[in-house]
Amino acid sequence: MARLDELSARQIAAGIAAGDFTATEVAEAALEAVSERDAQVQAFLQVSADLALQAAAATDAARAAGRPLGVLAGVPVAFKDNMNLMGTRTTCASRMLEPYESAYTATCVQRLLDAGATPLGKLNMDEFAFGSTTDSSAFHPTNNPWDLSRVPGGSSGGSAAAVASGEVTIALGTDTGGSIRQPAALCGVVGMKPSYGMVSRYGVVAFGSSLDQVGPLARRVEDVAVTMGALTHGGRDCHDATSQDATRDFLSHLEDGVEGCAIGIIPALMEAEGLAPEVRSAMAVAAQRLETAGARIVEVDLPNMASAISAYYVIASCEAFSNLARFDGVRYGYQEPGCKTLAEQSALSRAHGFGPEAKRRQMLGAYLLASGIYDAYYLPAQQVRTLITADYERAFVQVDAILMPTSPTAAWKHGAISDPAALYLADIFTISNNIAGNCGISVPVMLGEESGLPIGAQLQGPAFADARLLTIARALEQAGDAAGMVAPSFAGGGGEL
Amino acid sequence: MRPLSEVLQDWEAIIGLEIHTELTTLETKMFCGCKLSHDDEPNANVCPICLGMPGALPVPNEKAIESIVMAGIATNCEVMRRSMFYRKHYFYPDMAKNFQTTQGPVAFVMHGHLDLEVSGDGARERPEGAIEKAPDGSYVAPIRILRIHMEEDAAKMNHLGGAEGRIGGATESLIDYNRCGTPLIELVTEPDLRTPEEARLFMEKLRQIFLTLGISDCSLEHGSMRCDGNVSLRRRGTRELGTKSELKNLNSFKSLHDALAYEICRQAEVLESGGIVLQETRHWEPSRKRTVVMRVKETADDYRMYPDPDLVPFDLSDEFVERCRARVPELPDAKRSRYVSAWGLKPYDAARIAGEPAMASLFEAAAQAVDTSEVPMVANVVVNLVFGREDLMPRQVAGLARLLAGDAITFAQARELVELVAGTDRDPEKTADERGLRQSTDVQALADIVETVLQTCDDQVRQYRAGNKKVVGFLVGQCMKASHGNGNPKLFHQLLTQRLES
Repeated sequence: MARLDELSARQIAAGIAAGDFTATEVAEAALEAVSERDAQVQAFLQVSADLALQAAAATDAARAAGRPLGVLAGVPVAFKDNMNLMGTRTTCASRMLEPYESAYTATCVQRLLDAGATPLGKLNMDEFAFGSTTDSSAFHPTNNPWDLSRVPGGSSGGSAAAVASGEVTIALGTDTGGSIRQPAALCGVVGMKPSYGMVSRYGVVAFGSSLDQVGPLARRVEDVAVTMGALTHGGRDCHDATSQDATRDFLSHLEDGVEGCAIGIIPALMEAEGLAPEVRSAMAVAAQRLETAGARIVEVDLPNMASAISAYYVIASCEAFSNLARFDGVRYGYQEPGCKTLAEQSALSRAHGFGPEAKRRQMLGAYLLASGIYDAYYLPAQQVRTLITADYERAFVQVDAILMPTSPTAAWKHGAISDPAALYLADIFTISNNIAGNCGISVPVMLGEESGLPIGAQLQGPAFADARLLTIARALEQAGDAAGMVAPSFAGGGGEL
Repeated sequence: MRPLSEVLQDWEAIIGLEIHTELTTLETKMFCGCKLSHDDEPNANVCPICLGMPGALPVPNEKAIESIVMAGIATNCEVMRRSMFYRKHYFYPDMAKNFQTTQGPVAFVMHGHLDLEVSGDGARERPEGAIEKAPDGSYVAPIRILRIHMEEDAAKMNHLGGAEGRIGGATESLIDYNRCGTPLIELVTEPDLRTPEEARLFMEKLRQIFLTLGISDCSLEHGSMRCDGNVSLRRRGTRELGTKSELKNLNSFKSLHDALAYEICRQAEVLESGGIVLQETRHWEPSRKRTVVMRVKETADDYRMYPDPDLVPFDLSDEFVERCRARVPELPDAKRSRYVSAWGLKPYDAARIAGEPAMASLFEAAAQAVDTSEVPMVANVVVNLVFGREDLMPRQVAGLARLLAGDAITFAQARELVELVAGTDRDPEKTADERGLRQSTDVQALADIVETVLQTCDDQVRQYRAGNKKVVGFLVGQCMKASHGNGNPKLFHQLLTQRLES
């Protein structure tokens, strides 16, 4: 007898291949885990039981027919609700898209399905991915599985919470300024933002097109690596002009270790205002572990990082304004009833369909792109982007990856931070990675000395060195004891195989 | 209002054109794989991308970029090696994303020019002294092209229940997204045009070039080629530009000419009576021959343009540009010169044929099948008997030309023969024999006709004898009519002259 939440993706696929259990049994166990745990966690917006059982039956039929099984055969997965999957609604946790049925399936979702994954449903998020708490979901908040009174982080909070509570083995999230890595850190799971262009964005509702990237969250670095393989299987996606051909092998060198690696640390960053002492000491522990495993710790600097937040909120808001312009209630989504004119219908559908943060970002973007304003903000922001990218390039001449916190603190209580600007500042460690298009990953290190909550360490690597970054992340994981960790109050309950 | 010719003596018209051309000959839309078609059921050719569904992304159509680069090379533009797409925002349901993907300050091709040869009546629109003219009154006007950029077309909206299909007062608006995302190239001229005729000629010349390139069907009627005109006036001899108005609905060459002519006269009247021209968009009403205000532009629209992050910048390679250059066929001007120098065609015939690629290829194929001396007659047949028809084979055109060149048939008989052989594989020479379509050279029979005609034309006979020899042309025409087009006009001429001189 195995417990589903203790198994890795590869173990599940292997168990199905060996006939230890069927994909249908796995799907049923996963659905049971969701129904038992999600009343408390509230990670899901929709559970797609029918799709899950159909996919599992197809996997079982493939095995019975002797056909080769995919790398994620029968593995329970779920998707952030900004990813299109035919047969589900894709709401972006917004009233604006509450009734919207996906007309097609996103490439990243399809690639996991092609690898044999069992889709359990769609996961909660901050509305249109604007936020870092998941509290801005128009439907309900999601609770941190480690302490239900706390936020799971965001915007991929549903993805992190579903993984941390053992409801799913793997979830996909999107990361525009830290939206995969930060909730992963707050929920004690692994979350990776691949290099920009590594994973197709086709079918994923856009927030900041030049910053958005899809990536996996899981309880093990290995599961993240397996998922990366599935996401890039087939190479670049011809439906996404920004996607690129890069390595598709994330496993061959995963266990190579960090002997001879150089890991950068930025001393100035450890003195950042608002950085919790327990996070600072967890970083020291992480550095120590990497050093013990054979890495060299090297001090580096990213001198323009202080400007990253300003540049980010200019670029991301401009792109968000433009990307969300299509939601006008004309063709799909929320449509204000009883309007007399087109202008009234568009204005009221948007006024009542979008929540406050979505409006704030769009208004900011509309202002920043206005003629006369554009030159004063958008252009300098792009120049800052060039400087930050150059800073990283210089640093990566010296080191293979840079170690830093993911979030300045462990998970906070729902509603504890209400000032949007204060929330924006919490993105300081993650944002510059998106600005430069590099890869980054958050790995759980330990429980905070003070809070007793998970603390994540972030590793950032150069663009398209994603496989190397996973190897370093694996070494860091191996030196600790958080691999496969399920939030304690959920571990072991439900989901027997 | 004063007539155009008078107005243009006092005022100089500054005209610029913006010409949109749909790349109708491509198979798919600009940013998705949907089929391009004008006549399918509404909303038959749509997908998540051109409908702006959540999460959909654009992928540029490489063939469309080849087309615009070819258009640039053919209009003497510089190919910009690095350019990108921008997003132009406006809220209107004809653009599913509420932004149009277009180009920013740098277009794919820029800074070109076309030389217009203006002659005949149209040349008189430019007052004497305003430009150097040849003794026959013709002149060459060099027109600079600012840029040609790539963009996507909007959907078609049908407003029902309101007046004249406008949205104001409509009870229902239907959107057909078939056209949404059609690759569109927009050419913007510098304000170098000075007369409505020059504007018309520019548009015509551009259409001929694009047709020759094969990048569009260039139908003004169906809107695959659309033109907006900007026009302002300034007193002759002054430098400062006046306020311009923008003209819409110029969907024929005649509309383009007449709307500009009207607008020039209207503006002159406004200015001469001490008024000011407002910066406004005006709609041409062909039936009432006037322009009416569509909207007044008080402030510049703010489209919040910025580089499209979904479409990476283009770096066009030498190889790509050379491939496009190699695909540019012989253009109408060069073709026309060759027809004149190699075959001695009349410049008018040469220009007409060279301007229509289908006629040019019909002509050239037919020309291969006749003696060199008969080629001008082939041109005559193409221009005067079969122009615009697609149902005649080159060898049939050659046959008709041979019959005419050998004086075997009259032009009227040739016209009849065209109908008999069109759409079939019949040979005109055999058909003429079968039908007895040979011009009559029976001198006695023709002389009888001459006698009959002269009896009924006392006036003309008197005029002739009074010294008006030209009247013989009229009498030849009467004889041709009486012979049902079968008499040899040269023989008639000869017989008539003999009779009248005797």
